[in-house]
Amino acid sequence: MRDEELRNLAAACAKCGTCRTVCTLYPERKAEISVARGKIALIDAALSGRDGNLGAIEGALSDCLLCGRCERACPNQVLVEEILMKGRADIAKEIGLPAWKRLLFGKVMPSPGIRAAATAAATAAQRLLAKSIPTGSGLHYRFPEAFGLSGRTLPGFSAKGFIASLAPGEAATGDVMLFVGCVFDHVYPQIGRASYETMKASGKEIAVFRDAACCGLPAMASGDRDSALRCAEENVRRLRAAAPSSVVFPCGSCLVMFRRNLLTLIPETHPLRGDAAWVSGRCIDYASFILDSGVAESLPDPSGSGGDGKIGYHDSCHLSGTLGKGREAREVLRAAAGPAFAEMPGADLCCGYGGAFNVRDYATSSRIGENKVSLAARGGTGVIATACSGCILQMRDMAAHVQPSMRVAHIAELVFASLSRR
Amino acid sequence: MDERAISALREIFGERLKDSLEDRICYSFDATGKEFLPDAVAFPLTAEEVRRTVLLANEFRFPVIPRGAGSGFSGGSLPVRGGVVLSLERMDRILSIDTENLVAVVEPGVVTETLKEEAKKRGLFYPPDPASLKFCTIGGNLAECAGGMCAVKYGVTRDYVLGLEAVLGTGELLRTGVYTVKGVVGYDLTRMLVGSEGTLGIITKATLKLIPLPESAATLLAFFRTNGEGARAVAGIVEERITPCAMEMMDRTAIDCVREIADLPVPGDAGCALLIEVDGPEASVSQEAGRVRAACSRFGATEVRLSTDAAGREKLWELRRSISPAIRRVNPVKINEDIVVPRSRLPVMYDFLSDLAARKNLKIVNFGHAGDGNIHVNIMISGKDEDERRRADDAVEEVFRKTVELGGTISGEHGIGIAKAPFLEMEVGPLGVSVMKRLKDCFDPNGILNPGKIFVSESAARP
Ligand SMILES: Cc1cc2nc3c(=O)[nH]c(=O)nc-3n(C[C@H](O)[C@H](O)[C@H](O)COP(=O)(O)OP(=O)(O)OC[C@H]3O[C@@H](n4cnc5c(N)ncnc54)[C@H](O)[C@@H]3O)c2cc1C
Ligand code: SF4
Ligand code: SF4
Repeated sequence: MRDEELRNLAAACAKCGTCRTVCTLYPERKAEISVARGKIALIDAALSGRDGNLGAIEGALSDCLLCGRCERACPNQVLVEEILMKGRADIAKEIGLPAWKRLLFGKVMPSPGIRAAATAAATAAQRLLAKSIPTGSGLHYRFPEAFGLSGRTLPGFSAKGFIASLAPGEAATGDVMLFVGCVFDHVYPQIGRASYETMKASGKEIAVFRDAACCGLPAMASGDRDSALRCAEENVRRLRAAAPSSVVFPCGSCLVMFRRNLLTLIPETHPLRGDAAWVSGRCIDYASFILDSGVAESLPDPSGSGGDGKIGYHDSCHLSGTLGKGREAREVLRAAAGPAFAEMPGADLCCGYGGAFNVRDYATSSRIGENKVSLAARGGTGVIATACSGCILQMRDMAAHVQPSMRVAHIAELVFASLSRR
Repeated sequence: MDERAISALREIFGERLKDSLEDRICYSFDATGKEFLPDAVAFPLTAEEVRRTVLLANEFRFPVIPRGAGSGFSGGSLPVRGGVVLSLERMDRILSIDTENLVAVVEPGVVTETLKEEAKKRGLFYPPDPASLKFCTIGGNLAECAGGMCAVKYGVTRDYVLGLEAVLGTGELLRTGVYTVKGVVGYDLTRMLVGSEGTLGIITKATLKLIPLPESAATLLAFFRTNGEGARAVAGIVEERITPCAMEMMDRTAIDCVREIADLPVPGDAGCALLIEVDGPEASVSQEAGRVRAACSRFGATEVRLSTDAAGREKLWELRRSISPAIRRVNPVKINEDIVVPRSRLPVMYDFLSDLAARKNLKIVNFGHAGDGNIHVNIMISGKDEDERRRADDAVEEVFRKTVELGGTISGEHGIGIAKAPFLEMEVGPLGVSVMKRLKDCFDPNGILNPGKIFVSESAARP
């Protein structure tokens, strides 16, 4: 395996050990192989030919939540996330993606048509094979052993997605574009709806990006850079043509893909580089839009609505960590919920989802997530608000395990509730 | 390594023995960035497992290398001759904090900060504060006798150890020391083990001394035009009979590289900065802070900033904290020495260092714990230029000679390991080395524990 660029990135690691202190996985594994510096050493060994067992290295690299806490704590500005993703991609190029990841991300993502078919197929498969289990937060399905994804509870895919529920011609044009994301379109369409309705309250014309491809993050994180690139190219082309003044993301993970990863995926030499930079620069988080467009200001006075201190905010690794947008989301919450909002203990701990990690090692992912939810509950939080699709999937699942009374909401749902009191 | 040894180890550790290449690579390095592959890594949970490992090692003759967090700066935890790395990170329980006798009993894998935090919750203070405290372990601190910023007032790890439990190179479990403040029964075996870098025994338990938590603190940041002025202010503060709990000095090279990456308000003509912290009861803190400020001004400080609240103090610390991250911008490879000279010789040493950098055409960034005379001399090189590497090696040797000449020591807190083994004799002399070797034989007759460290005759890596 050869990759000079990756070698240089990895060489920046001084092996100081600071990343051990923040790694989400370290307390679970208590071994260097789980932390950034161990993984970087393995990538370096693969690149220098000292370790040719790429399958084993792939396994070690996949044992990671890509939460980015290591990168943010690193005193040497090592680009850990990029190193890990690139490492996975280089290995995938050599030995292919592992079978379970092909199944998850295969070739199904880029085109919306195929994705809808895949979603339908997955829904059907779940109905056929799954045992339904009742929980506090709705109907959940257990992913079948046959998928190699045992033990995982998933919400059923909605019959009708948010975008499909729009009338023809509705939200077709507008200066502000809403990028809903797969989860808030198909799995939790009510969050897609809440985002859309609350953005409309700004008085601006909101266009919903209908023919969006997947943001590409799951594929990119898994090392399938080709699929990720195809998603990115399609999205960049369409968004550039639509020429919105801004593109708003209710999901922090989709946003990180556009704000940060787009430009590592589409290099200087790529013909779409200019367009990609143009698009990337217009992508903003939902909370920033709600603040800047005056929606937050226009919400009714939230004081006296009761439940003081009941609503906490969960810092999504991507949104608060990588993009530093935790403050904006909290301001929106304060405007929508007033004194009902209070900081919860462990707000900035990773929820343990990690995308593919949750599928790969559901038991560990659950322990991390359950701790998170239990800690919040012990601190008196009854509603965890956040703004990222993965975190919501995970924390709803975890709440079902350990704290069925805990509600996990998107901040847009709380803004929506506040608006309807107006 | 002998297959039979591996399977015997597997009997002890089961899943906690790792011998895949991937796991071994992950235990091949420490913060020196150097790499040596072990044959296996084991994660003991009890002293008994450690003991059985060392007994096996005597039977099959393989090296055993204790390791904490692998944050060492002298290569102490590197398996230079292969063998088994015993990673003590999972023996990480605080066994007790006795608020009546002010004593903590801990396992070696406890992270330093965890102990400090737990003590703090009880109004107590475990002072040692290496900059790595968020991740380094008590075991590693004991084995290196780690110091830190507050050493000037509170001392170093050594000063807080009352007793130890350790597995010797023979596999015997030795208990040393006391649970009391005093104790003079026989030789001080506890201190013998402190700073022994895992070559005499593997520490499995430590009894540590705690003190009451200081009530309040104040931080001052003073800028001077030259190192000489700064160094004289350090001496001046000491002459005032004030003992700050931190007195950090940054020379022009250090200030300049921070200026490049961070937008911190630093006066344009600053050639030296002193960060001083005083702690204690509120009344004495404000009085001492005033005297420190006056002393700085007297020795030519162009500006002195003072803060007593947490947020303001943190702001003042920013300059000091930014150095480590900034320094790699100067050049990617860092040769990091931590010499100490008597405080009064600091100006001489700083002048020597800036002259040395010019003479050898090297980039040398200096900062450190000036309060105790400890200077971190960082020679920053590209790593690609052979001639530059040679000039750096020469410079290191000159720095050490000058240090010893001034009555100082070549390692204040990072230890000898492999990095400084060639210079051991320069400081302690042939008899010193010989007595150390005789002691080593007594604790570890078969040379099982961490071979290749401290002594040069052994420090060559395995072929
Ligand atoms: C960013 C950074 C800042 C640092 N700042 C400081 C500082 O301010 N002051 C300072 O003194 N040091 C500092 N260090 C150096 C280092 O953190 C210390 O030497 C620390 O004590 C090492 O602890 P560790 O747990 O990482 O031990 P390791 O590096 O794993 O091991 C160090 C030595 O201890 C031995 N050892 C470990 N555990 C045991 C045990 N249980 N029994 C016997 N031997 C054992 C090992 O064999 C080795 O010889 C710094 C390091 C870094 C990376
Ligand atoms: S904190 Fe950064 S430099 Fe230090 S070991 Fe981790 S990745 Fe490497
Ligand atoms: S991304 Fe998160 S889980 Fe992965 S190594 Fe970094 S801190 Fe650990």
